[in-house]
Amino acid sequence: MWVVFRKEIKELLRDRKTLFFMIALPILFFPLIIGGVAYFSSKAIDEAQSKVLKFSVVGAQYAPALVQELTNSEFFEAIDMKADTDAAEWVRGENVDFVLEVPSNYSDDLLQEGQATFKVYFNDAGLNMVKRRLNEIIGTYEEQSQQNAFATLGLTELQQSALLDPFVLETVNVADDRENWGEKIGGLVPYLIFILCLQGAMLPASDLGAGEKERGTLETLLISPIERNKLVFGKFFTIAMAGVTSAMITVVSMAAWGLVLSQGMAIEMVATFMAAIGAIDFVLMFLMLVPVVAIFASLLLSLSIYARSFKEAQGYMTPLVFLVIVPVVLAMLPGVELKGGWAWVPLTNVALAIKELIKGTMDYIALIPIFASTAFIAAVSLAFSVYWFGREKVLFR
Amino acid sequence: MIEVKGLKKSFEVENPKKLSEQEKKDPRLKGRYFHSVESVSFTCDKGTVLGLLGPNGAGKTTTLRMLSTALKPEQGSLVIDGEDVLKKPVEARKRIGFLSGSTGLYGRLTGRENIAYFGQLHGMDKNAIKQRIDELAELLDLHTFLDRRSENFSTGMKQKTAIARAVVHNPAVVILDEPTTGLDIMAAQTVLDFIRHLKTLSTPVVFSTHHLDEVAELCDKVCVIHQGNSVFEDDLAAFSALGEGVLSHSFLKTIKQEA
Repeated sequence: MWVVFRKEIKELLRDRKTLFFMIALPILFFPLIIGGVAYFSSKAIDEAQSKVLKFSVVGAQYAPALVQELTNSEFFEAIDMKADTDAAEWVRGENVDFVLEVPSNYSDDLLQEGQATFKVYFNDAGLNMVKRRLNEIIGTYEEQSQQNAFATLGLTELQQSALLDPFVLETVNVADDRENWGEKIGGLVPYLIFILCLQGAMLPASDLGAGEKERGTLETLLISPIERNKLVFGKFFTIAMAGVTSAMITVVSMAAWGLVLSQGMAIEMVATFMAAIGAIDFVLMFLMLVPVVAIFASLLLSLSIYARSFKEAQGYMTPLVFLVIVPVVLAMLPGVELKGGWAWVPLTNVALAIKELIKGTMDYIALIPIFASTAFIAAVSLAFSVYWFGREKVLFR
Repeated sequence: MIEVKGLKKSFEVENPKKLSEQEKKDPRLKGRYFHSVESVSFTCDKGTVLGLLGPNGAGKTTTLRMLSTALKPEQGSLVIDGEDVLKKPVEARKRIGFLSGSTGLYGRLTGRENIAYFGQLHGMDKNAIKQRIDELAELLDLHTFLDRRSENFSTGMKQKTAIARAVVHNPAVVILDEPTTGLDIMAAQTVLDFIRHLKTLSTPVVFSTHHLDEVAELCDKVCVIHQGNSVFEDDLAAFSALGEGVLSHSFLKTIKQEA
């Protein structure tokens, strides 16, 4: 068996294409994509923040001081608009970023005039800063008017704050930081690891099964005096190891790049978060992945040996990705917890358990159904692979 | 020594509608099953080279695959060197060297690694493998390319390496399935020289071919397979006499007897 394993690994390591997909891609490419997205989105936000907004005012005469301040602000640029222009049309024609309509009842004296409604015409479909910037300036006037009114009424500061916000809802989160973050990212981790394991195992799997058929080496291999199950195990371990290695490389590279990119305080947060997850939890996560990878590897091997060519094998394997995504997405749904029946659903239970382990709220009893169901399926699929390798119909298609 | 008696093998037809007109007319198609080999028998003694002849689709490859244990026959017996192949396939495999014209190599391994891998699969130890490879390299003139990756080999180099791989374990019998098909003249000559070499070692050889000149050159015995049955089995002289010295006439005659 190890003869087969060693030879397959040797061959795999000499294959530049597979190595590229397994190692170079996760190390360089994924961080580049993620970094690129982060870079462009932060750039877009920066742009929106520093952009000078053009505006026109209707009814400027009701609030000259406010309009004057808008005009003077470095973030705004006033554009003259003819009195009879339709404000919505004006904005839609991209003449200005927004039109501000000052109400006729605007005044400093709230007690006399009551609430005043400003109307802002703008395109809210995209990313923009219109509301925020207007609130900044109008807010100071608002506060001023409130202070004036309170002064007129002669209210104490206590009464003022009570009137402004009579009842305050204060929340106390009993979840600690770990549980909080675990819930947020814990669902994503198994998703990522599962898909990466599968992807990493796919290329070697197609090479080890369909590849042998395509190159015409399979027949010679089959008639060598090695028992069929040993041959399957040798190939199976190679594929499983490729899957795990690829997933580990990706995770480690992401962690490393994450640390590099998020300098300063973020490091501390990540470090404390990681430290909170004990070594045993990491070992458990890894142990649970073993039967999962075994399932993947044996399924991929069965598909691959059935296929007539490399291309056909890839075609059969693509739907498997969707098949894996479904149970993992189930684990991310709210309400699906590692209890009762869900603990027995393969893949979903492992995904849930990884999440629980990250959160630090794992119920260790649940490990029994998890290992039982996953190992059972792994054993069945591996047995199927062995049986499949003995079928003449599969081997000589 | 190889003894084959009444071999039979059929395949389930997956989609009968997809068969070509010619395949539908074949009498071997019975319901959902195609009886690729109905009854094939022959014997090949020590030091004998047996040529397996037959039109395309006659069942030659299936027969040889059964002989090499890749396929399991439904009926019949297969004895190689006194060992019942059907009862102990793994044991029998150690005695068989098999090579087909379409066989490939692991491109990312060197020629030496390709050969050594199969040596290991045959349970040979490192020293024995090294010694045997040196021996074969001398015999087949592999030295110049033995340690290069086999993906860049020429057809001739590939075929030589494949031969070395097939006999790395010193098999008691050698089976070759159309070993010269698709090869250029030089590469084909390598194969024929090798068969001749086996003959001097008095290793029995069974090989299938379409080239009658190869038969005339090498074979002691001829077996013709037609539509899944062995229709002729005798020595070369008897085969030649059938067509009054012209082998292609002999061949056609053996087939017409049945058709």
